[in-house]
Amino acid sequence: MAQPATETEFTLDTAAELAAEESGAVIRGRSPWYLAWRRLRRNFVAFAFLGLFVLIVVACILAPLYAHHVAHSGPSNEHVLDTITVHGTKVDVVSKGGVLGGKLVASTPVGPQWFAAGGKYVLGADQLGRDIAVRLLYGGRTSLFVGIVSSLICVVAATILALLAGFYGGWLDFVITRFFDLFYAFPVILLGIALGAALAINGIHLGPIRANSGNIMIPTLVISYVLIPYVGRPLRGQVLSLRQKEFIEAAVAQGAGPLRIMFTELLPNVASSILVFFTLIVANNIVLEAALSFLGAGVQPPTPSWGTLISDGQGLIVTRPWFAIMPGLAIVLTVLALNVFGDGLRDALDPRAKVKIEH
Amino acid sequence: MTRSQRWTWLLSVGALIAGFALLGAACGGKSKSASNKPSSSGGGKNQPFANFRIAYDTGTDYLDPGLSYTVEGWSIMWNVYLPLLGYKHVNGPDGATIVPYLAKAMPKISSDGKTYTLTLRKGLKYSDGTPVKASDFRATIERDYKVDSPGVGFFSNVVGADAFSKTKKGHITGITTNDKTGQITIKLTQPQGDFQNILATEFAALLPPATPAKDQSPHPAAATGPYMIQSYKANKLAVVVRNPQWKSNKATGISEVPNGNPDKMTIDILGDPGVALTRTLKGQDDYDFQQPPPDRLGTLQSKYSNQTKVYTPANTYYFFMNNRVKPFDDVRVRQAVNYAINRQALVRVYGGLANPTENVLPPTYPQYKKHNLYPYNLAKAKKLIAAAGVKGMSITVWNHDRGQDPKATEYLTSVLNSLGFKAKDKIINSSVYWTTIGNQTTKAQIGFADWFQDYPHPLDWFDVLLNGTRITPTHNNNYSNFDDKAVNAKIASLKKQTNLSSSVNAQWAALDKQAMQQAAWAPFINRQFVDTFNSDIDLGCYVNHVLYQFDFATICHK
Repeated sequence: MAQPATETEFTLDTAAELAAEESGAVIRGRSPWYLAWRRLRRNFVAFAFLGLFVLIVVACILAPLYAHHVAHSGPSNEHVLDTITVHGTKVDVVSKGGVLGGKLVASTPVGPQWFAAGGKYVLGADQLGRDIAVRLLYGGRTSLFVGIVSSLICVVAATILALLAGFYGGWLDFVITRFFDLFYAFPVILLGIALGAALAINGIHLGPIRANSGNIMIPTLVISYVLIPYVGRPLRGQVLSLRQKEFIEAAVAQGAGPLRIMFTELLPNVASSILVFFTLIVANNIVLEAALSFLGAGVQPPTPSWGTLISDGQGLIVTRPWFAIMPGLAIVLTVLALNVFGDGLRDALDPRAKVKIEH
Repeated sequence: MTRSQRWTWLLSVGALIAGFALLGAACGGKSKSASNKPSSSGGGKNQPFANFRIAYDTGTDYLDPGLSYTVEGWSIMWNVYLPLLGYKHVNGPDGATIVPYLAKAMPKISSDGKTYTLTLRKGLKYSDGTPVKASDFRATIERDYKVDSPGVGFFSNVVGADAFSKTKKGHITGITTNDKTGQITIKLTQPQGDFQNILATEFAALLPPATPAKDQSPHPAAATGPYMIQSYKANKLAVVVRNPQWKSNKATGISEVPNGNPDKMTIDILGDPGVALTRTLKGQDDYDFQQPPPDRLGTLQSKYSNQTKVYTPANTYYFFMNNRVKPFDDVRVRQAVNYAINRQALVRVYGGLANPTENVLPPTYPQYKKHNLYPYNLAKAKKLIAAAGVKGMSITVWNHDRGQDPKATEYLTSVLNSLGFKAKDKIINSSVYWTTIGNQTTKAQIGFADWFQDYPHPLDWFDVLLNGTRITPTHNNNYSNFDDKAVNAKIASLKKQTNLSSSVNAQWAALDKQAMQQAAWAPFINRQFVDTFNSDIDLGCYVNHVLYQFDFATICHK
């Protein structure tokens, strides 16, 4: 006797419902990816936040257009002594300050002009008269680049280590696990500051890996490096579990070599976790980049990033609070978008999985 | 939408609302009125003060008189470690007057200007009760060499100092002492116009002979002044208390060093200038040593104008350009940088609290004569760069990470890029910045530097910062590695002048112009500073010294 359907997340994807939807057509085999896609596309919240993320990415990609055609200034062009016309009145981009007429006067950059200055200084200027809106968009390019590239490096390295440790076991597993433990022992931010500050002076010169100080690859590599164990360790657990399954034994019995087993048998089975990890860790890494840059151990000035912009805005938090709030808001929205979409993706790929980044 | 999706949606929206609410609270929340509780009992002008609390910055390098070479270190130590000679503790130009401290009188100088004879006061004791002896002076200078002090260059003219610097064994033959009579005789290889000033530096402040030849900051050495350092934890806290031996030391006739009003000084080392200002205005500290963030100057003026003092110490902020490294080995490139930087813009970068300059010497010096070699001219700068054929070259601009200074190099980087270079900043921690750029192996191309006088004499600028014969492989102060034979010869010639007459002053002024024609640096501002106090402090007692700035020991309650 058929059991009554209960309201669960899996109900929609039961074979019976699929069959009903296809109105009696031949029931075709469905791949797990297809099933995941079906689940994901019904998650409107996840899609809304994916849309938000795409919007932010597109805005940042179009930063040069905005800088050239709207703001008429590059991200690092100073305009300390320039003036702008607001409603017919000339205004200093950075006002005169000091002891004027026997009184202490603050030298303050213009606040948000929205569109009163013909597209210039929509969000105001910083102490060097640079357009904050332009720097916000360019800063987004930097932060997203660091976040995405560092996540890619981290996930690739962590996956390789997890496959090696989980598949071979023994002393190799011991060495890799201790490497993970070693990094677990340090708080991520502390380790990031230590590495970032040390590499800020001389850069990285490790064989083929060469990056001079100030190179954006330094914070990218530091961030990817410190988070490898946080992805590698749970993946290793999954590989260890899969290693005992019958399909692996079958592959071994068929004479498959270690590389083939790792990359054609094990890897596809952890791919969904890797994908979820990736989306979650991009968000995590954007926050980490902002933290390191805020503390001076990440992206080096004058290259803008959301972290350096918050740090710059800190000095003007009383008179020009938007300067610090806007990059903060950009980080919040980006991270929220990625996390909500990542959660949706996780629910779609494997609703029982408990993949999350903890440190 | 499933139940879990609904929850995700609600939680996301909730998180956003909560975030905005927190943001609003953080920005819109009015601070409670300052409690301004008095820090201690007592009160009235020149009356004792139980605990003077200072919100300090993180710039203190050492609290060892042989090693410290920062305003932060010296501001604390000039009331702790006394040299044979020192400066009057008074406001204004009179503060530059040298007076006897531990010496009975001013030195007797031989007619050839090469021998200085001083006599130590009788009955002096260190804070631990050890008697002060004349031989302690020689031991102190020798210790400077043993600890690789940044001040050893000041004593290189003493006979036997160079030989001692190589072996660090035996004694400096040019310093002879007699513990019975207290006589100290110093022989120089040639006359030196600023030698009395050098005897008044902290590097010459007497220490007990048993003081180990290593950094004593964590275990401060015994003191001779009105105060002693009770404890010091780097980047956290320093506590200064009264020296129990001071009364007897003072009784030997040290009239120019005041007893000081605070019984104790608690120096809270804070990293954030905003926090330091808030603590001071709220009464958690009595004095803010740090500079207020520029965007709070307006509030300071409107609400706390009677709690602030604006002053201009003798200082010059400049960009060094390494003459040994391309492209700055070419004078045209150095001149181009001088033409390309708009000094008025840099004044605004410092919140307006500065005056533009292109001189080496600050305007407070009688030798200062304003020159106008490099009016802002970007087109001319670009022509010079084109003529030098260095367009497109990569340049690294160095700076430390403290205060407004990184903004100055961000401005410079922008200017260099507008000249056609590929410039980028390299910002490193302030605690290692000076030693890093002062190390020849770093090959720092260009970057930020500032100079606050060690003593009020032009030699402290030209001899220390621009004399090519004093370039060192490490701890180098001549960050530009400027080595011009004519300038070196002129410095050597003027060094022998013991009297700063008007004709000598004119020669110093001419040397300033000569160095800048070679574009040794790109000077940009003489900076002004703001001292902020809590409302409990009587600024009638305020003394700002030409060298050590605000004299902590003079402060008093309303």
